Amino acid sequence: MTAKTPEVIQLTGTTPALPAPAIRSFWHDFWARFRQNRLALISLVLIGLLVMTAILGPVVYTVSPTDISPDFEINAFPSADHLMGTDNAGRDTLARLIYGLRVSLVVAVFVEGLNIGLGASLGLLAGYFGGWFDFVIARAADMLFAFPGLLLAILVSAVFGPAAEDQFGGMGRLLIVAGALSLVSWPLMARYVRGQTLSLRERDFVLASRSVGATDGFILTRHILPNLIGLVVVSSTLDIANVVISEAVLSLLGLGIQPPDSSLGIMITQATPFLVDNWTQVFFPSAALSLIVLAVSFLGDGLRDALDPQTVRRV
Amino acid sequence: MFVQLLLKRVLGLIFVLFSITFITFLVGHLAPGDPIRVLLGNRQDQAIYERLRHLYGLDLPWGQQYLNYIGGLLHGDFGLSFRYQGRPVSELIAEGVPVSVELGLVALLVSYTIGITVGILAALRQNSWFDRTSMIVILIVYSIPSFVLIPILRAVNYFLYSINAPSLPAAGWGTVQHWIMPVMVLSAASLGYVARLTRFSMLEVLNQDYIRTAFSKGLPERSIYAVHALRNAMLPLLTVVGPSVAFIVTGAFVVENLFAVPGIGYLSVQAIGQRDYPVVQGITVILAVAVVLMNFVTDLAYMVVDPRVRVEA
Repeated sequence: MTAKTPEVIQLTGTTPALPAPAIRSFWHDFWARFRQNRLALISLVLIGLLVMTAILGPVVYTVSPTDISPDFEINAFPSADHLMGTDNAGRDTLARLIYGLRVSLVVAVFVEGLNIGLGASLGLLAGYFGGWFDFVIARAADMLFAFPGLLLAILVSAVFGPAAEDQFGGMGRLLIVAGALSLVSWPLMARYVRGQTLSLRERDFVLASRSVGATDGFILTRHILPNLIGLVVVSSTLDIANVVISEAVLSLLGLGIQPPDSSLGIMITQATPFLVDNWTQVFFPSAALSLIVLAVSFLGDGLRDALDPQTVRRV
Repeated sequence: MFVQLLLKRVLGLIFVLFSITFITFLVGHLAPGDPIRVLLGNRQDQAIYERLRHLYGLDLPWGQQYLNYIGGLLHGDFGLSFRYQGRPVSELIAEGVPVSVELGLVALLVSYTIGITVGILAALRQNSWFDRTSMIVILIVYSIPSFVLIPILRAVNYFLYSINAPSLPAAGWGTVQHWIMPVMVLSAASLGYVARLTRFSMLEVLNQDYIRTAFSKGLPERSIYAVHALRNAMLPLLTVVGPSVAFIVTGAFVVENLFAVPGIGYLSVQAIGQRDYPVVQGITVILAVAVVLMNFVTDLAYMVVDPRVRVEA
């Protein structure tokens, strides 16, 4: 062995120097792949703009979303005074839209936070440790799956929403809505993560790590978790589209944010009877909603393609 | 083998029914507000309170209460309304149930009839203009949420009205014309689902060896499509009856409210406004159980129609 070492050194010395391979991190690769997808890139920018509007909008555009405009214009078309017109109570539509975006944003962030914090963590532990814990989590998820569609979310927000509003105001009610929506979506996240963890657990690199004495904590954080990030990011991004629509449905049913506060669902319902007088009042919130749903879906697809190097790149 | 599979399905059904009733019971149990206090209204009296509490079994341990709840459900007893003192929930929702069931079934029928027809035609003329346009239109209709679809339909309807063409009533219930827009909206989502699946499954079947064999032995084209291809292509459609019904159930809440259809979706929103939880609770149980039973029946139907399912299990 030792006798051969000089020979090796000599060999490398004589070969013409190869260009040093660029050190590319996973994220560097990810970004390079993601950039290829124009649609996803545009969606990302669009979502960034919408989030900025939701956060900074009220600071820049200080018109009240609930006060009747001083000129008493009702169902007005867009004009210099009201960039998106006014609704049937004479309130500024742009201001209401900004607050509606805030509602969608808050609900989306809370639901996905719960899905990741609760659903993904439980799925990870259930898949990795198995046994009775897995059994309990799987059955709990099955129990929640028994309810079709939004039924459970409707029931939970109908029962606990009003009390939460009495106690904590509109924000309390919104959090109940977010919790109710998460109740019907975290089981899915848990199921995805559990499945992925089950297959990762048996992979060679995990076995190799375990054979040299790695602890469960080490394997979970260094081997399993990094391989789950893609799945979790993609599925929660795609789920945001559902959440935004579901929140609109719940506020339309009178379960979400209460009038006079605005949300995209409330804006659409309140403007629908006046559609023939002024179609723009239905158009703006519907367009905002569709834009969010489309952008989030394209972004999710783009992230999936970029995060999973095994996917064949589509031309 | 078949009996074993059947037993497994029945056990699954029992678990799901248990889950629905248990979670619904739990939500009602944890609900804020004391039903007896509400029942007493402004005649609050401790002695009567205790007696009523005992009468309605609310002083029992919760396990016992749950069993009583199930017993009540089996007898069509969904508890008492909070809003209308002492009136049973079943009485309040009795009129809404047939309306919602009929509307839902008609929507299901429409979405399957149109969806299957479009799917088959698209598959038989793959990549033709009909295939392309119908699939794009269906994708668009499928991805528009119902509450955005409704204003669009209304706008079209109003346009028809304004040029004195035949148009539909904007909302309400009673005549056949009132059915058309709600059915269109309700069937839209599951129609897209069914059409796309039919097309996919038909195309897959058409590439099978036995279809080529049928062609090569000179069978008439029509009988190949109708007998050999169609029957096998229809199988996967059974599996999406469940999701379709779930679509329609959630859609019914929106559609019934925006079109003022007096079904249980409409009633439940009124109950939500009045904080009448037991009504919402009862409607949730009815709808969830209906969807679950529908799933169970299609599962059984699948086992009967497709022998492979029986063997694999």
